[in-house]
Amino acid sequence: MNATAKSTLIPRFQTYLPILLPIVAVAAALVVGMAVVVAMGVPLGQALSAFWRGAFGNAYAVSASINRAVVLALVGIGFIIASRAGLTNVGGEGQIAVGGIVATALCLMPGMQAMPVGLSFILPLAGATLAGGVWGGIAGLLRVRVGTNEVIATLLLSFIAVWLLYWSVQSENMLRQPMTSAATLPESLPIPATTQVPLLTGSYSSPVTLGLPLLVVVAVVAAVMLRRSLYGFALGAVGLNPVAASRAGVSVGLTLVSSLVIAGALGGLAGGLMLQGEQYSLKAGFSSGYGFDGLVVGLLARGSVTGVIAGALLFGFLRSGGISMEMAAGVPSALVNVLQGLIVLMIASAAYYLDRSSSR
Amino acid sequence: MHKTVSGRSEAVLPLLALRGIGKSFGAFEALRDIDVSFNAHQVHCLLGENGAGKSTLCNLVFGIHQPTAGTMELEGRAYRPAGPRDALAGGIAMVHQHFSLVNELPVTDNLLLGRRFGRIDRRAEGKRLQELASRYGLDIVPDALVGDLSVGQRQRVEIAKCLMSNPRVLILDEPTAVLLPDEISALLGVCRQVAASGCAVVMVTHKLAEIERVADRVTVLRRGRIAAYSDTPAADINRLVAAMIQRPQASGDAAIGARAIAARKPAVPFRPKQEAMQIDGVSIVDRLGIKRLDDITLTVGRGEIVGIAGVEGNGQSELGAMIGGLLRPTSGRWFASDQDLTHASPRRITAAGVGVVPEDRHAVAAISKLSLADNLYLNRMSRFTRFGLIDRGAQRRQAQDAMTKFDVRAPGPLVAFGSLSGGNQQKAVLGRELTTPGLKVLLAAQPTRGLDIGAIEAVYGLIRDAAEAGVGVLLISSELDELISVADRILVFYRGRIVGEHVARPENSHSIGALMSGQTA
Repeated sequence: MNATAKSTLIPRFQTYLPILLPIVAVAAALVVGMAVVVAMGVPLGQALSAFWRGAFGNAYAVSASINRAVVLALVGIGFIIASRAGLTNVGGEGQIAVGGIVATALCLMPGMQAMPVGLSFILPLAGATLAGGVWGGIAGLLRVRVGTNEVIATLLLSFIAVWLLYWSVQSENMLRQPMTSAATLPESLPIPATTQVPLLTGSYSSPVTLGLPLLVVVAVVAAVMLRRSLYGFALGAVGLNPVAASRAGVSVGLTLVSSLVIAGALGGLAGGLMLQGEQYSLKAGFSSGYGFDGLVVGLLARGSVTGVIAGALLFGFLRSGGISMEMAAGVPSALVNVLQGLIVLMIASAAYYLDRSSSR
Repeated sequence: MHKTVSGRSEAVLPLLALRGIGKSFGAFEALRDIDVSFNAHQVHCLLGENGAGKSTLCNLVFGIHQPTAGTMELEGRAYRPAGPRDALAGGIAMVHQHFSLVNELPVTDNLLLGRRFGRIDRRAEGKRLQELASRYGLDIVPDALVGDLSVGQRQRVEIAKCLMSNPRVLILDEPTAVLLPDEISALLGVCRQVAASGCAVVMVTHKLAEIERVADRVTVLRRGRIAAYSDTPAADINRLVAAMIQRPQASGDAAIGARAIAARKPAVPFRPKQEAMQIDGVSIVDRLGIKRLDDITLTVGRGEIVGIAGVEGNGQSELGAMIGGLLRPTSGRWFASDQDLTHASPRRITAAGVGVVPEDRHAVAAISKLSLADNLYLNRMSRFTRFGLIDRGAQRRQAQDAMTKFDVRAPGPLVAFGSLSGGNQQKAVLGRELTTPGLKVLLAAQPTRGLDIGAIEAVYGLIRDAAEAGVGVLLISSELDELISVADRILVFYRGRIVGEHVARPENSHSIGALMSGQTA
C-alpha cells in the first residue's frame, strides 16, 4: 500500500532510502561493535572467527540461527500487522509464554502422542496459536472497551504470562515433572517424540524444523493480506484515521481487536515452535527475550514483511554468533544487545529525520 | 467605507491603536487596511462572519502572528509583539476559544501556571482570586478541579487568569460560542465590570443580541476589511447586520460560484411530492450536559435542497455527525428512505442510500495518506475484489474514470489524497458520495469551505444535478449567500434549535441573518 501511494514526484534517491538506511545502520553498528571488541583487548580476528563459527560455522550453527530467526520473524510479522492498525504490540514475550505453556500441556496430554497424520504435533501448535491469540485479544478488548493503552495492556499481560510460566514449571499440579528427588529440576517432562515438530532434514545435526516453511507461508499470506485484501485495507485505514475509517463503514473496534488477536496468535505459534521444535520441555527461562527481539525486528521493518524477514535473519545470526563469541573469545554476548540497541537507535533517529524532512 | 477612529473627537485616549494593519498568509490576504483603536473603559465588539478575519486580528494584537503591513501603538508607544510573551508584558491578555487549562489541577494551581519564578503561596493566591472574583462578579470555586467544572466555569477561570496580570487590554475570542444563556448574561456582566475598571475589552462575536447588551463600539469585518463601524451599536444594528452578511455585487466574489447555480433553481418554490428524509424530534446532549441539538424536526423531500443556515457551533456539526452515523441522538429518531437509521452504523446508513460529505474533510471524509484512488472508493473497496483480493488495476481504471467525471485534477489516481488542492479533494469526496449505490439522500456539510470560485461552482453544480435526479439534499453552510443561491428553502439553527424557516430568496436574506444572530422574528 505504501509503495502504491508513493508519489512519482519523489526523487529516486528518496525511494531507495528506506532500503539503504537499515543497511547503513547495521554496518555502522557492526563497526562500533568491532571497536568495542578491540577496546576490550580481544584480538579482533579471534572474536570474528568465533562469531563466524557460531553463526555460520556448520550446519548445526546455521540451523540454530534459522530457528531463532523463524521465531523472531513470526513475532515481527504480528507486530507489523498490529502496527498497521495503529497499535503497538509489546506483548510478544507473554504471547510466546502462553503459547509454550499450552503447547506443553497439550503435548503431555494423555493420548496426544498417539494422534494420527501429524495431528500429534499440529494440535498442540494450533492450541499454542489460539492461546497467544486470546492473550493478544484480551489487550485488544481492553483497548476497545475501556480505552486502556495497548502498550500498557500487552506489556502487563506479558508479566502475567511469564509468572504463569514460572508457576507452571514450579508446581506439580501444573506442568512440573514428578519430583523423585530433591534434585528434580523445576521443568516439565520432555514432550513425546511424536509431538515434536518434524525436522526438515530428519537429522539433529541440522535441526531446521517445519517452522521454516510454515513461516514462509505465514509471511506470504501476511504480505498479500496487508497489500491486497480488504482486511489489510481496513487495517491501514483504521491506523491512519479511525474516524474516517468508521465513516467508511469499517468496524473500528473489531479491526483493532482482531489485529491484536493475529499478532498474539503469531506470538503463540512462535512459542509453540520453540517448545516443540527446539527445547522439548518447558523451563523457567523459556523465552528469554525473543518477544522483545521480535518487537525490535518489527519496529525496524517499518511495516514491510520483507523487512521483517531480513531483520529476523540478521538478529537470529547475530544472537548465535554472539553466544559463540562469548564462549570462544570471552566477549560477553551482551555485546549483541549493545549492537541491537545501536541499530535501533540509528534507524529510529534516521527515520525520524527522514519523516521530518519529507514532510516539509 | 473605512472609518477611522483617530479623527473623531473622543474624551477617552485610545489604549491600543492599529493603523493600516494587513496580514497575508502566503497568497491569501486575511486582513487589509485595518484602522481601529481600542479605548479604556469601553467594550469594543468585533463583528463578522466566519473567515472575516476577526480571530486573525486578535492573534496579531496578542502577538501570535505578526502583521505584514501597518503599525500598532500601545499607549502612544510603538507596539510590535514577537509573541504572546511580549503582549502579556505590554498588558494585553487574551481568552482563546480553546481554553489553556490543565483539567487535573485545581483552579488555583491553574492560575499559577505560566509563572516561572518565585515561591508558590497557595493561600495568598486563593485570596487574590477571591478579591478578583468579588470585584468583577466572577463566580469561581478556587479549590475545584478544572476537569469538574462546566464550560462556563472554566471560561471564568480563564478570564480570572488573564485578570490576575492586571491587563490594560483584554481580548475575548468568541467567548459566548460555548456558553448557555445564563452564563452569557454573567459573562457580559463581567465584561462591563472589567471595562469599568479601566480596561479596554475587545470581544469577538457574531451575535447581535450581545452587541446590543454590552458593546460601546462595534467594528464589522468582512473578508478581511472593515465593513462598518458604529459608536452607537444599539441604534445601528440593522446597518451592522447588512454590513456583516451582504456581499458586494462586484466581481471577485466567491458567492458568484453559487450564483451561477441559482439560475437553475425552479422559479416557483419547489414542492416535493415524496419525502426522502425525516428527522423527528432529535435532541443531542453532550458529555458536559449541554444540549447541542434541541428537538429538531425537519423533512427533506425528494429533489429538494434544504439549507441549514446558522452561525457555526449552533448544532450543525452535531446534526452532520449524527447523519454520518458518528453520533447517536440522545432522544428522537431519524429516517431515510423509510428506514429507521437512529441507531444505524455508518455502514448501514450508506447502505440505505445516504451519502455524506462531512464538514471536516481531513478528519472524517478522507484519509490523507492514502491514495486518491483509495479515497474515491473508501467505503466500497469490495467492488474491486476478486477471490478476496483487491484488483488494483481495475480500481485504478475506475478511479481514472471517476476523476474525469467529477473533474478531479491530479497527476494520477495513485497520488496521496493529501497532496491535492482543497477543491479537488472536495470534488473527489463529493463524487464518492454521489455515486453511493441507490443514493436517495445527500448531506453536504460546509461543502465549499476553503474552496475557490471555480470549485464552489463545480461543487454546487454537482449538488444541483443530484437534486434534479431526485435526491433529497440537506445542505449545511455558514455562507448565507451560497445557501440562498443553491437551496430551495432554508432552516435557521440557533442554539441547537430551528428558529425559523424561509424560502431561499435574496429578499429574505436580512430576516435569515437576523435569525442567525439570535434575534427573534
